[in-house]
Amino acid sequence: MKLTIDELLERYYEGETTLAEEKQLRQFFEQDPIPPHLQTHAAHFRHFVAARQQEPSAEFTSRLAAKLALPEPGRIISLSSWAVRLAASVALVILGFAGGLLYDRHRTSIDPTVTGAAGDVATEMKKILAYSQLPETSASERIQAVNQSYDLPQADRDVTQLLINTLNFDANVNVRQAACQALTHFEQEPGVREALIQSLSIQTDPNVQITLIEMLVSIKEKRAVQEMQRLARRPQVLDVVRQKAQEGISNLARPS
Amino acid sequence: MDLHAFKQRILPVQGRLFRLAQLFLRNREEAEDALQDVLLRLWSNRQQLDAYHSVEALAVQMTKNLCLDRLKALRRQPVTDSVEYVNVSATEASPHRQLEIADSASLMQRLIDALPEQQKLLIHLREVDECSYEEMEQLTGLTINNIRVILSRTRQRLRADYLNVNNHETDY
Repeated sequence: MKLTIDELLERYYEGETTLAEEKQLRQFFEQDPIPPHLQTHAAHFRHFVAARQQEPSAEFTSRLAAKLALPEPGRIISLSSWAVRLAASVALVILGFAGGLLYDRHRTSIDPTVTGAAGDVATEMKKILAYSQLPETSASERIQAVNQSYDLPQADRDVTQLLINTLNFDANVNVRQAACQALTHFEQEPGVREALIQSLSIQTDPNVQITLIEMLVSIKEKRAVQEMQRLARRPQVLDVVRQKAQEGISNLARPS
Repeated sequence: MDLHAFKQRILPVQGRLFRLAQLFLRNREEAEDALQDVLLRLWSNRQQLDAYHSVEALAVQMTKNLCLDRLKALRRQPVTDSVEYVNVSATEASPHRQLEIADSASLMQRLIDALPEQQKLLIHLREVDECSYEEMEQLTGLTINNIRVILSRTRQRLRADYLNVNNHETDY
């Protein structure tokens, strides 16, 4: 049942032709002697046949090929694939852990020298607290050095003497207070209690005076009563300090 | 997808994409430019291409969208020059114009250019690319019945316009 061209055309304009039938129509209109009554349809089909011949120019194709070949080397470096990104992040985590472990091992390996040789701390402390170093060290450095004395299991004469010197002669009030507190820590060492009592007559700063009184009361040093009375009688002493001294005297005089 | 596979799969389609771009942009250089843009985009996204059911359909879609975007951008530009040019060519140079009308191939071209974008696309897909209705449905998102109706109307309109111009010409 082969349809004539006229029937095919009718179906074509109704949108009912198949692809094969449309091909048949195009082929029919490509031949040259077209029946006169169908002449007006020819341009339509010939146009589409001609449109099919259009291709991008050869120059375009070569230009494109050059562009496609170009970015190839850069591709390997980029972290475009998710697998590479994943690997990179895992490597980063492992690196972090390894770094932490190494650091930890390093710390523990040098740790024994810190705790084992108490002398090291003491010498370091002495170095910072030495009177000649005073202009070169900051107050916080000296306070830290004083506080290091708490780590010493037992203090020798050198250390206590150093702390006493600091208590009496350091330029900074806070360092002196820290030295005072550190000394009460070593109250059982020979000479420390005496030095604290003696210091009461040397100190002029109210803060240090109050700290000294408190410390002497807390270690129950009854021999300090006399010095405190003298302090309370001093005219240039602040009222607060005087009150504190009298309070300390009554505390110490009370039989325990 | 390496360069070889890409060339094997995409480059045979480039003639088709080029004709589609030319349909919308009506200019050889513009069409080649758009085609190159599409192909380079496909190339830079080649890792994802395997996920697509049909790379060809994707490429056709990309080309269509890119061309329509470019047309929109062109329209937004102040195109005083070309407007003047159109006016001039409409009022004078009638011998030239008559010669053009006599050339029925370029007449068909102008008639198709005058179509709305959807009709233009559908008739191009059907007549030039020889797409089946199923393919056209996939590409345009229209139903097959809808496509048939639009195609039929477009063919009739082209024929009517053609006869109209030709009769007009014979009247002179």
